Amino acid sequence: MDAYQLSLAEAAEKIRTKELSPVELTESVLARADAVEDKITAFATRTPGLARKAAVQAEAEIAGGAYRGPLHGIPVGIKDLYETAGIPTTSSSAVRADYVPERDSAVVEKLTAAGMVLVGKTHTHEFAYGAETPTTRNPWDLERIPGGSSGGSGAAVAAGECLVGMGSDTGGSIRIPASICGTVGLKPTYGRVSRRGVASLSWSLDHVGPLTRTVRDTALVMNAIAGYDRDDPATVDVAVPDFTGGLEDGVAGLTIGIPVDYFTERVDPEVSAAVATAVGVLTGQGAVVREVNVPMPDHVLPTEWGLMLPEASAYHQSMLREKADLYTPSVRLYLEVGEYVLATDYIKALRARTLLQQAWRDLFEGIDVLIAPTLSAPAVSAENPAVTWPDGTTEAATDAYVRFSAPANVTGLPSLSVPCGFTEGGLPIGMQIMGRPFDEPTLLRVGQAYESATDWTSRRPAL
Amino acid sequence: MSEPLSRPLSPQDLASATRFARLNLPGDRAALVRETLESVYGLLDRLDTLELGENPPATAFDARWE
Repeated sequence: MDAYQLSLAEAAEKIRTKELSPVELTESVLARADAVEDKITAFATRTPGLARKAAVQAEAEIAGGAYRGPLHGIPVGIKDLYETAGIPTTSSSAVRADYVPERDSAVVEKLTAAGMVLVGKTHTHEFAYGAETPTTRNPWDLERIPGGSSGGSGAAVAAGECLVGMGSDTGGSIRIPASICGTVGLKPTYGRVSRRGVASLSWSLDHVGPLTRTVRDTALVMNAIAGYDRDDPATVDVAVPDFTGGLEDGVAGLTIGIPVDYFTERVDPEVSAAVATAVGVLTGQGAVVREVNVPMPDHVLPTEWGLMLPEASAYHQSMLREKADLYTPSVRLYLEVGEYVLATDYIKALRARTLLQQAWRDLFEGIDVLIAPTLSAPAVSAENPAVTWPDGTTEAATDAYVRFSAPANVTGLPSLSVPCGFTEGGLPIGMQIMGRPFDEPTLLRVGQAYESATDWTSRRPAL
Repeated sequence: MSEPLSRPLSPQDLASATRFARLNLPGDRAALVRETLESVYGLLDRLDTLELGENPPATAFDARWE
């Protein structure tokens, strides 16, 4: 096995025991990117020179006994929304083509302090406003989208161009590419990880988190990035656990809520079947299932869009007036439309969110986690990014995907997407494990139990 | 986001709103924006079915300095 194929945890162990050097690992990853990047275009900017320098430094530190921990010397791709000092940060937009920040975002500061090796900035759907990432292709089928908005990170991790990709998630943008690129992806609880220095789509709904090959890898990244930050007014000053602590505790005795509505409507039957089979794996290990109804199903998307549209237009207010022609058509349209949402409609959505929060709290009485398909469908065609349902109706990819991912954004609840199978056509399928606020360790525990019992994460796309 | 028209907009309505928003909307974009906006209003108006009562918005301000 080439080094670029290792999980973070596997690579970290080899680095710790000096079986593998950060330089060897970084060279393997850079060579892999050289070989596949022209097919995938996962990166907006690659930084091989900086990566080699950081890898040499990590190697010297470790040789000198200054091992920083499991992220030391591990190659990472950072979504191009995250500010990186001295490195272009374009949000994959012509509007910000020349933007070079002077300071790292909070998460990048933490990952750098942990010794990670930045190999480049991964593509996002422009300004994170969409679920397609049209710049980039899915490693499992080059005619299909990688999802988005963190599509570059999903594609890069799946293809072996980095071991970790950082993403952001406002309506599903970590979990969507994770699901359809066949990686793990965690949207942490709202307020768990600082967003300082990450371009905003919607302050009320934005989250940042990792995409990785395995559940343990996600836990390791969370250990480095979680925590209160006064510079992000949404972060919450709560204790930060060791996210790897309970990974091997198993699911015996846990109660899994299984929705009998919302997540069962307009969903690809191959997706439903894969998730049902996955739940069976968990009950086989002693978990208990309880059927639940999803509360306020008609109010999820109005709340999501009622918050996102005007907040995004407020963020972009000056840029839309100065550089409208530089936006891609769909993003420009969303930003223009958001200009006309009344303040009272926006506040109504904020009040509806309070009700949704209470209703989901009630939903979690008697269950530990809720498991549902991450998305209603696998990766769609890049040429025609839409889903056609059996009744003949079509649904734009972003709408079809966000339907299932948005509940976790509106409620702020943590949601972990893990690979749970493939379609007959060879496309990855993901299931999301949602949990109580700040209960990421239970999600990771369930995800680890499932992953340990299956071998989906060992599959690699044939590129 | 295909929704029934709960707040139909005439071209003149949109022109007025555009002026109040101090937005420059080229004429060839008005029809698309108007059609999409009507659909968005239809989506947002689903929230009218909620009894919001005394429920506050899901926002808070932290007055601490540190």
